Amino acid sequence: MGGLESIPPTAAMHRLKLISGHLCPGGSAELNRDLQRAECGSAAAASGRDSPDDVVVVHGRRTAIGRAKRGALKDTTPDELLSAVMTAVLTDVGLSPDRLGDVCVGNVLQPGAGALMARVAHFLSGFPESVPVYTVNRQCSSGLQALLNLAGSIQSRTVDLGLACGVESMSLQSIGNPGDLTSRLSDVEKARDCLIPMGITSENVAERFGVSREKQDAFALSSQQKAARAQSLGRFDQEIVPVTTRFVDADGKQLQVTVGRDEGVRPGTTLEGLAKLRPAFTPDGSTTAGNSSQVSDGAAALLVGRRSVVEALGLPVLGVLRASAVVGVPPDVMGIGPAIAIPAALEKAGRRGAVYCVEKLGIPMEKVNPNGGAIALGHPLGCTGARQVVTLLNELRRRGRRAFGVVSMCIGTGMGAAAVFEYPGP
Amino acid sequence: MAKVFRSPARHGYAVEVSPFIPNRVACAASQYYGIAGCGTLLVLDETETGVALVRSWEWSDGLFDVAWSEANEHVLVAGGGDGSLQLWDTNNHSAPLRVAKEHTQEVYAVDWSQTRGENLIVSGSWDQTAKVWDPALSRSLTTLRGHEGVIYSTIWSPHIPGCFASASGDGTLRVWDVKSAVCRLAIPAHKAEILSCDWCKYDQNIVVTGSVDCTVCVWDLRNIRQPVNQMLGHAYAIRRVKFSPFSKTVLASCSYDFTVRFWDLSRNQPLLDTVEHHSEFVCGLDFNLHIPNQVVDCSWDETVKIYTPACLSAATHKREKSWSKSSAWS
Repeated sequence: MGGLESIPPTAAMHRLKLISGHLCPGGSAELNRDLQRAECGSAAAASGRDSPDDVVVVHGRRTAIGRAKRGALKDTTPDELLSAVMTAVLTDVGLSPDRLGDVCVGNVLQPGAGALMARVAHFLSGFPESVPVYTVNRQCSSGLQALLNLAGSIQSRTVDLGLACGVESMSLQSIGNPGDLTSRLSDVEKARDCLIPMGITSENVAERFGVSREKQDAFALSSQQKAARAQSLGRFDQEIVPVTTRFVDADGKQLQVTVGRDEGVRPGTTLEGLAKLRPAFTPDGSTTAGNSSQVSDGAAALLVGRRSVVEALGLPVLGVLRASAVVGVPPDVMGIGPAIAIPAALEKAGRRGAVYCVEKLGIPMEKVNPNGGAIALGHPLGCTGARQVVTLLNELRRRGRRAFGVVSMCIGTGMGAAAVFEYPGP
Repeated sequence: MAKVFRSPARHGYAVEVSPFIPNRVACAASQYYGIAGCGTLLVLDETETGVALVRSWEWSDGLFDVAWSEANEHVLVAGGGDGSLQLWDTNNHSAPLRVAKEHTQEVYAVDWSQTRGENLIVSGSWDQTAKVWDPALSRSLTTLRGHEGVIYSTIWSPHIPGCFASASGDGTLRVWDVKSAVCRLAIPAHKAEILSCDWCKYDQNIVVTGSVDCTVCVWDLRNIRQPVNQMLGHAYAIRRVKFSPFSKTVLASCSYDFTVRFWDLSRNQPLLDTVEHHSEFVCGLDFNLHIPNQVVDCSWDETVKIYTPACLSAATHKREKSWSKSSAWS
């Protein structure tokens, strides 16, 4: 039944609005001020119809995520990690790199957000000089931002096909140097708040929104259990690119190791064990090493293109980018970013789920990071956004049904980002 | 263990157990969560092993409510997003018996009167009116105006002929008298939208409402200044409320919080149990009036479930107390 064409978009929007009103009757005016949202013009997304201009993900791979400073990737430079995933993605689909219109790489800690490093990686992978590359830094969301930037180029028809990647070695570079900042910083409160370390912002969120130590530990336990289970069931096997690299052991001896397993997962985690850990950032705080995201090393790459071009090349569609949102939030509680970004993105995608009240998202826990998240798997800053998309689409494909998924993260200095993807079904 | 019927790509909005056939239920379902697309009316039979599809019909817009005829076991009426009511016959595989298009917006509620001597249909619409119809749906007999918001629910009183209650987005619960076509009572029952209401089957003065404010409230129409009970527990808006056909004090509610909850007003702590067997909004709910303690629900997760919650105690009310359309309430 071709019912869709007969329903005027305004009637559909009216129904969606009414139902939205059931879920978030008042809304929060204060938080709304921080939102920047574009008008939802995407009737196609609301109806789920496919368009030849859709931005689609063809394929994605990632390295294992290593524990920074101590793990097996601690002596591996980010260009090697990036090169490994870029090569793997193109080899898997049998695409020649000269088909790429652009390559965008998320990175945070390398000098100049890794712009030079990325070009080096490019050549390590044997890409022709004719393919350009650039990097992007929106802190923790950089890997996702790389995808969104590439999507924009695809939508503006500047580019047909490209790679969106993310990479970080937190072993070799630390969060530390904020750059050259004015001495006036102390006079402007929100500017000063940008320097608050993530551990303190986490404490701020915990205090302001009533997230107890017990709740944080329970969430951490859940992340570890889900990741351990996923790992033992081999759920990451398809997406991980094993990397053979040099490793310098405690005695200074150089070894060659092959890294194919996420190191951050601790299957033996218990609530009792987590409860014993001391607060890491403030004396009477609730954030510990056990319930925080880890510092990590890793890379991920996604092949992205316009649907018409992808299909003409005979390439598969693994996922469709349906909508995204980036929002600004107070820097001192930047952890709430996803609570604002997710509804914004879902609303733009026209999903009925759009309307979760901002303060209590109420997403059932089994739907959040079903295979574990940054606490268990780790958070290599520039890589994470791209890594989440790889893991999300692989998991939706594993489940074998048409479904939607959301990738989201909070962003240091006060932002949140989210993107809605559709797995079209087997 | 629930018996489950899956309706791929159709999201259930309403279910009703047949007044004639104990194992038969109807479900009004919609494509794309009812936001856009078409609708499907399903007639299902519970079998020993599961749930079988007896008949289904497609409609060009979403279907939001369904009611069985109280006079003819084959007939049912459904309300659609296009403002239409359609009359369907399980003997007729293809087309509705009749389509009545008078409402100018979505029909969100339909109910078939059970009172003896009456054979009337009431519909409630987002156009803020309720309409009463003859059982052939030839034309509306009365249009009742008064609500200042969309109407979500219109339910005949099982006791008082020509009387129905309505729940609206204007936050009021209204009680209407059809013969004089007036609103007898307008109760500002909630400060938020009221998505559902139902009558107690054992006390003609008692009505329950379920609201966007996440509360279930029970009202005595003789004293409307405050509810006799206010039940909290649901985390999101309540989509439907239903009084048990077997007990004066037992009722059920279903919600956007994915749960169905059972309550007993005679207890200090009324919540009996929370059933969490759905992965999406639960919109439809009905008690089986033939089989004590059996419940049917439907959800946007594309399932209809038939089950007997453990929390409902064994029926102390025998079948003669449950009302069937051949016995009268006086």
